[in-house]
Amino acid sequence: MRALLLKRLLQLVAVSWGVGTLTFILMRSLPGDMAYRIAASRYGMDAVDNRAADLVREELGLNHSAWSAYWQWFTDLLSWNLGNSLVSGEPVATQLWHMLGHSVVLAVAGILLSILIAIPLGLASAFKGGWLDRSLLMVSTTLRAVPVFVIGLLAIIMFALEWNLFPVAGFGTPAHLVLPALTLALSLAAISNRVVHTEARRVFGSSFFEFARMKGLSPSQTFMHHGARNIAVPVVAFLGIQLITVVEGVVMIESLFSWPGIGHGLAHAIFARDIPLIQGAALMMGVLFVVMNTLVDIACHYLDPRGGQLA
Amino acid sequence: MSLIHIENLAVYAGNTELLAPISLTLEKGQRLTILGQTGSGKSLLAQAIMGNLPNSLRTEGRVTLFGEEVNAKQRQRFWGRRISMLPQEPWNSLDPLMGAQQQLEQTYRMVAGESAANAQQKAAYTLALQGLQDSGHKRVDQLSGGMAQRVAIACAMAGGAPVLLADEPTKGLDVSRRDQVVQQLMSQSKQGALITITHDVAVARQIGGRMMVIKSGELLEQGNTSDILSAPQHPFTKALIEADPVNWPDKTPASSHKTPLVEVQDLTIGRGNKALSKHLNFTLHQGEVVGVVGDSGCGKSTLGDTLLGVHQAMEGTILRHSQAPLHQWQKLYQDPTAAVSRAVSLATLLEDTVKLHKIDRARIAPLMRQLGLDEALLQRNSEGVSGGELQRFCMLRALLLDPVFLFADEPTSRLDPITAKEVSQLLVDVAKQNGCAVMLVSHDPDLIEKRCDRVIRLDA
Amino acid sequence: MISSLSRTQKTGAGLLLLLVAYAIFGPMLQNGDATAQDLNHILTPPNSEFWLGTDHFGRNMWIRLADALQLSLMMAALCVLTSAVIGVTAGVLAATGGRWLDRGLDALVTMILALPGLVLVLIFAAIVPGSFWMLYVAISLIQWIEYFRVSRAITQRLTRSPEVQSSKLMGFGQWYIFRRHYWPAIAPQLFTIAAFGAANAILMMASLGFVYVGIQPPLAELGLMIVEHFPYYSDAPWLLAQPLLLLALVVLACHLMGRGRTQ
Repeated sequence: MRALLLKRLLQLVAVSWGVGTLTFILMRSLPGDMAYRIAASRYGMDAVDNRAADLVREELGLNHSAWSAYWQWFTDLLSWNLGNSLVSGEPVATQLWHMLGHSVVLAVAGILLSILIAIPLGLASAFKGGWLDRSLLMVSTTLRAVPVFVIGLLAIIMFALEWNLFPVAGFGTPAHLVLPALTLALSLAAISNRVVHTEARRVFGSSFFEFARMKGLSPSQTFMHHGARNIAVPVVAFLGIQLITVVEGVVMIESLFSWPGIGHGLAHAIFARDIPLIQGAALMMGVLFVVMNTLVDIACHYLDPRGGQLA
Repeated sequence: MSLIHIENLAVYAGNTELLAPISLTLEKGQRLTILGQTGSGKSLLAQAIMGNLPNSLRTEGRVTLFGEEVNAKQRQRFWGRRISMLPQEPWNSLDPLMGAQQQLEQTYRMVAGESAANAQQKAAYTLALQGLQDSGHKRVDQLSGGMAQRVAIACAMAGGAPVLLADEPTKGLDVSRRDQVVQQLMSQSKQGALITITHDVAVARQIGGRMMVIKSGELLEQGNTSDILSAPQHPFTKALIEADPVNWPDKTPASSHKTPLVEVQDLTIGRGNKALSKHLNFTLHQGEVVGVVGDSGCGKSTLGDTLLGVHQAMEGTILRHSQAPLHQWQKLYQDPTAAVSRAVSLATLLEDTVKLHKIDRARIAPLMRQLGLDEALLQRNSEGVSGGELQRFCMLRALLLDPVFLFADEPTSRLDPITAKEVSQLLVDVAKQNGCAVMLVSHDPDLIEKRCDRVIRLDA
Repeated sequence: MISSLSRTQKTGAGLLLLLVAYAIFGPMLQNGDATAQDLNHILTPPNSEFWLGTDHFGRNMWIRLADALQLSLMMAALCVLTSAVIGVTAGVLAATGGRWLDRGLDALVTMILALPGLVLVLIFAAIVPGSFWMLYVAISLIQWIEYFRVSRAITQRLTRSPEVQSSKLMGFGQWYIFRRHYWPAIAPQLFTIAAFGAANAILMMASLGFVYVGIQPPLAELGLMIVEHFPYYSDAPWLLAQPLLLLALVVLACHLMGRGRTQ
């Protein structure tokens, strides 16, 4: 467990370094006077002049070698000085804070909904097999072949444009959350219901499950005491693997539904080449990703006393 | 009233008969052993009696338990309470996430209907009786095979079922552990009936009672165990009994060996930081067959790897008195399928070896004849031949290298008894003819006794 | 080889073959090119002249789709090839080449995995906007890890196995052991990883196109086309359906090929 946490810590450092370096390269590769643009992002478009730009140039070492500029870039990053957006002029940190709330709501709603869909369907298909299993396999395969933004697009066309049940895009009311969360949940459940199915079949077919019946437990006792936890361990580990899908899904879904979260912010910032915001949003996603992974590690460790080496 | 009465029980897959009709009756206090090789259909019989055959199979015949005729579905409510089955591999049959005592406690509570406090007390008492008082909190991955088997037996008996079916209860256990398990089965079954399914003649002999011999789904003969073991009627039974190492003919007297090959002084072997066997001293001579015995975990395989130089010794010295190059120090493995690449045909593998060491091709054919290997086998890959054939192929490859030393790590334990007898005899004979020293590892002291010039015993 | 494929895999392979044929030979069957606009013929439904109709700039959809498919397949093939070669080499070396190499590679993988793949690709795409090659580098950077992990795990297991020990005792060298033991165990797994990897590369590129940071117009790209056609979904539903369907089909073909022995 300690080795695992150490690994996660290394990842945190790696995220900061990686994002910082990539955005630094991004900054150096942009045309035009970078110092001027950054000064504008700090002090606002009106207050900026050549003097301010020179100050920034001095401060960030843009007039020095690339290496000292790189160093300067990092000290800023480490002191959590993320600067202001080049587009809106607002501090990046404040913007991120707003976005974070929206993203978390979407991610949590999507994951919960996907669990509500995947676990009953996966268990039912493992119990019953036959037509239920085959049709679920077909639906899952189809959904997996479709990228998440296409699922969202179809959801918009059907539920919003054709039947007018939910708003097309935007945020503010609970109704706005339904389609984005559903889209995320479907893309997650398409895979996870099969994982639940496979794990349940593995456990139902295992010697220990059969032996529990042989020694006299009823089918429901056997499932409660020997089935549920043994199925849960690999499924939770898989949810950890699925976090990548969650984050990637959030980026696409937010962009599609104009849901003002971090993914939406990142995509827009890249489109607008708003470097401070790119850096901030990417950093935030990376940190969140590592933190969520750590939580899954801990959950696995708690569920599986053997040391959680399943993932 | 007999505890269990079976009339013409047969198993079919579609229209194929997997198990020919069998009838048997057991009264209280009786024991029955069903003897047969792997794949003989004896496990099917156990499952047919319990009523837990896979859905793809169909049974015919009648099963009467405690004077009540019951179909497979109705038998389920007898499970654990009246009839219980001990699984083949206990380490796969205990819940991997739950402690041993908890599983036993649960059975006392939910099957026998004890109160929580009583169940806990009984579970602790039963475990202590089996010498497992300190292992109650352990999960199956922390238990040894023998410990897991004892926990599984306790769980199977906790519901108080008078009829116990044990399917290969000694598979994969050392001789000493095997005897313990048989003792436990015998003592637990005094109040009921015991049906044991095994391939091991020694187990059948220990259990006594009545016996049935099965081959490819057919009953060959039945009667009192002692009668059958002393005067088998069917040729197959005869072969099976003769294949038990106890009944092997005695070895030919050893010729004297003088030239030392390897000298081991104060050797300590181990894995990681854990010493397995300490202060070993022995000398191995050219052309000598030496047995190595000891319980599992005492480092028999590690000794081989250390002598071969694959593994580092923890302490002490190994002195090689021979200038033979490295590839003349060879090894045979317990599981030949794991020791041979399955990617290409055996002929290709043989060709690889021949090319690498520039071996005279004329030597291959006579050696193959001696080992009883058919030319046609070489066209297949390792998965297409039987375990015995593959082990002999491994011997062929090793012997072509003119080895001076051959470490044979339980080379026959995965083979059926009849093949095991042949292969181990061949190994010793061919090695002696070629002047190769053999170190033969086995968990079976009888086998070592019959095949080796002398024995090294390792203690854990 | 073909006979060892399951029916599902054969279906996938057949579908993929069909799509590849369309991508390569499709454009030869119709006149014109993918970017030529014809504002007199916008949003034409499929007819005998334009087999798949025209888009909002009057561009020939048959040719545009084939072009887009070509781009996607090329990306997939390049990424699979690059990441498989790098991943397997690194995996086998890590398992056989000593402790420090293994640790170093493990740390590198841990670092790359700290960021979700798509975010990493997004940032790379931002550095050189609209560049096919930047996307290729970014996607391969993520995808080699899967090959690395699998081949490392298999090799690690095998280095301690009797079969490798036996070959070593007989005097065979590392290259022989790779050829006879490691590679035969790794190869069947590669096929599955490659099939899903190809699907992922295609999806990744389409996703970037969809949020406007991937391949830039007027080039034809499936994700980009979907977002461009969306406004016309009620006037010309087939226009939106075409790239959607094509994308789903090519991903499905890959997924079907990757499934099989394991399920």
